Amino acid sequence: MSKVLVLAGIAWRNVLAHRVKSAIVGSLLAFGSFLVVTGKTIVDSIEAAMAESITASLAGDIQVYDKNAKDQLALFSFGAGGEDIGEITDFPKLRDALTALPQVKAVVPLGSVNTVVFGRTELDDTLDKLRAANRAGLLEERDQLFAQVLAISAQLQQDQKAAFTIAADKVQAQIDLDGLTRVQTVEFASQFTSDPEGTLDWIDRAIAPLASDGKMMYLRLLGTDMPAFSKDFSRFRIVDGQNIPEGKRGFLIAKYAYERFVKNKVARELDNMKEKRDDDGLTFATDKALHDQAGRCARQYARILFMLSPKDAAELKPLLQAELGVSPASAAPDDQNLGKLLVSFLSVDDTNFDARYVWFYTHIAPRVRLYDVGIGEMMSLRAYTKTGYMRSVNVKVWGTFEFVGLESSQLAGVYNLADLVTFRQLYGKMTESQVAELDGVRKAAAVKEVTRESAEDDLFGGGADALVTESTTTRAFDEFAGVDMTAASRAAADLDDRVYTTADMENGVVLNAAVILHEGASIPEAQRAIEAASLAAGAPVNALDWQTASGIVGQLLLVIKGVLLVAILVIFLVALFIINNSMMMATLERTAEIGTMRAIGAQRREVLALVLLETLVLATVASGLGAMVSVGMLAWLGEVGIRAPSAQMTFIFGGPRLYPAWSMLNVSLGVGSVSIISLFSTFYPAMMAASVQPVVAMNPKE
Amino acid sequence: MAVIVALKNVVKDYPLGATTVRALRKVDLEIDEGEFTVIAGPSGSGKSTLLNLIGCIDVATSGEVNVAGENTATLNDNQLTQLRLRKIGFIFQSFNLIAVLDVFQNIEFPLLLQGRLTTADREARVMDVIEKVGLRPQLHQRPSELSGGQRQRVAIARALVTRPKLVLADEPTANLDSVTGGSIITLMRDLNRADHTTFIFSTHDQRVMEQADRVVNIHDGVVSAQGLGALDPLPGSDGVGGGDLRATMGGAIKGIPG
Repeated sequence: MSKVLVLAGIAWRNVLAHRVKSAIVGSLLAFGSFLVVTGKTIVDSIEAAMAESITASLAGDIQVYDKNAKDQLALFSFGAGGEDIGEITDFPKLRDALTALPQVKAVVPLGSVNTVVFGRTELDDTLDKLRAANRAGLLEERDQLFAQVLAISAQLQQDQKAAFTIAADKVQAQIDLDGLTRVQTVEFASQFTSDPEGTLDWIDRAIAPLASDGKMMYLRLLGTDMPAFSKDFSRFRIVDGQNIPEGKRGFLIAKYAYERFVKNKVARELDNMKEKRDDDGLTFATDKALHDQAGRCARQYARILFMLSPKDAAELKPLLQAELGVSPASAAPDDQNLGKLLVSFLSVDDTNFDARYVWFYTHIAPRVRLYDVGIGEMMSLRAYTKTGYMRSVNVKVWGTFEFVGLESSQLAGVYNLADLVTFRQLYGKMTESQVAELDGVRKAAAVKEVTRESAEDDLFGGGADALVTESTTTRAFDEFAGVDMTAASRAAADLDDRVYTTADMENGVVLNAAVILHEGASIPEAQRAIEAASLAAGAPVNALDWQTASGIVGQLLLVIKGVLLVAILVIFLVALFIINNSMMMATLERTAEIGTMRAIGAQRREVLALVLLETLVLATVASGLGAMVSVGMLAWLGEVGIRAPSAQMTFIFGGPRLYPAWSMLNVSLGVGSVSIISLFSTFYPAMMAASVQPVVAMNPKE
Repeated sequence: MAVIVALKNVVKDYPLGATTVRALRKVDLEIDEGEFTVIAGPSGSGKSTLLNLIGCIDVATSGEVNVAGENTATLNDNQLTQLRLRKIGFIFQSFNLIAVLDVFQNIEFPLLLQGRLTTADREARVMDVIEKVGLRPQLHQRPSELSGGQRQRVAIARALVTRPKLVLADEPTANLDSVTGGSIITLMRDLNRADHTTFIFSTHDQRVMEQADRVVNIHDGVVSAQGLGALDPLPGSDGVGGGDLRATMGGAIKGIPG
């Protein structure tokens, strides 16, 4: 033992004696160890954070989908939705087969479909108020609101002029532009006075759709068994409103999407600028993009202006004048124009932003409709079914939700939740009872069945008249929008009042399902058991672990791992060569000393050990130092957290911050791998040293 | 007295390019325990080769080399190393101390390789030889901090610390000034007398020869004469003088003194 100690002692002294060499090799090894410990710990932490947040959000531990699907399931992919993951036609059968497995805690049915929502515009709102005022005989308010309609359409007219040059359909564009021009004429105003309702209907048809462009929202809908979903996914949390009541249909918007796509544009821009200033430390003075954003925000003033009721507008003007330091008696036209006042209010800079942000939410936000779709309101979702037809479903928005830790993740925020019946309608599949009900409705209304194959003949052939053509093209496959008025109102009443049974919710198609395992169950084993059990039950599925099922995010983790591995390999390769080279040099330099040791009685193996120990001592000390620095850094980061550098990264970090936790295992891995590499690269020089002949100790003069 | 070194018919060839140089030509030599022997000869005469063979750090091409009762031809590298470690002490012309160890550690090193003694015993042994070579004040200095003479004293202490039967010294005074060299020789002679350790030197140094019990002259790979060191005035010339001549000459016999 003491022999090993003295050899280690000599080795250590040799390390100290060759400072430059030791410093170079040592820092390389320290860096290698630092990289292994830090990298491995962060990757582990990411994996653990992701595992926790993703599995508890909507992935579950395992995702299952049709075994015969064309594409692989990918829950979180940028621009997801194009994949064909097949269908699970009999979910109860599958669920029963899977819950019979000892590992499985719960199975949650899922099915996603991309929907388009046309949000209500300022024009829609104003027209509604205008109609109400007209019917109530509030003539003064009616005229003020009509003036607002004119102002909105003047804005639209400008937009349309700009759009005209690039319009593909010049004829339609010209019709639209003519319509907008007509609104601005004196004749139109007198037509409104003589026939308010008729004029408003015309505006609804001809003008209102032109305003909807900017209000089109793409929402990805995830149909699920809401009671099961909210019970089995611990990260799910209602933010505004309430959860969809059991047995009811409805829609929950992701808080992320609600704030970013549904919120008033001006408020959204202000929120976004505040985020950039507070979180990223950007300023208007130094960041051009932020500066431009402020300008863009000011140009959106109409989104506020057109939403204000005449009363609110009248109240807001003096408040704004006071805030902006403009005399209420000022004769300058800009100082009396609310639009101009809003523009100058919204032209924020570094000195006034924080105050104006607060002012906006104190004085302006309560007077406008802050979200295009309000909690508790009905929303019209449209989707293209598998067969290519547009479906439209009206559904109540019960509230907003988020997944704890993934609040700011775009990837998690794209999913909005709905009941399974709504999903199936949009997806294009109905429950058996719905099919029966629809048949009944059709019979009662004596509607001719139009199949896709025979559609052309039925619709356009055989001298069908224009009216039939129009009604069938728009409504042929829309089973809930009214065939006749009775059916339509029944369908609408259904949505609000009808309570669905579990069977209604369950019996029908789902696309995939999340399987939640009991604590400590092995995922690969469960995957095999699930695939076998589903096959035996006659509903064969593929079972993907959450990481694979996450799609691009799971792959991103693989990429991070790959990059880390390559970096470590490069460092190790460099270390290998440098250590090999420097130890060869050291051996050559020390031939006489090694020969002396051999002459006075050191065995070959002792010389071998000496050289190996020299590297091992250096490697242990250097990698230990590297690991210590890494642990120190990780301990600090574990306290303060690593901020996700981008919204996408919050998903990978499992939250806005990643708190890495260092472990002795990773420290041993760092020190161990560096030591092994060092020993490996010293092996040849050590063999060379061991083969030095004792005779070289003698003076070679003779 | 027992014979500690016995060479019979020893030949040593070295390859030199395509040819072979014969460094020793059928040398026969016996050395008794406790002898203070000088091997003398000019450069290239083969005296270092002879010393290497006796020191078991080189092996003969043919013939028999017996050291401390072992026929070295029958030993493998491990066993030769063991033999060197236990029975032989080495003193080198360039001292050959381990640069990163201090005086104490350098001297202790062979004992650690032996691995037989306790820490306390090792220390006692080391201190004992340090006293003998007079280096107590330099105990914890590094070789680079010592003078040439002090370094050679360390080397002597290191050679003696294992209490070897045989100490080989390869021109131990060649890198020292004459005063220092003289004191080193006196020290070794004293140690030889005190402990009866066998000393074998290769040297050009006349004073070393004067101290020797016996001088073995070697020339062109042939032991040419043996005798009392004091009576052998010139290296390379025929040995003169008496003493107990034991070597039987192989090869060309140049002269048998007295």
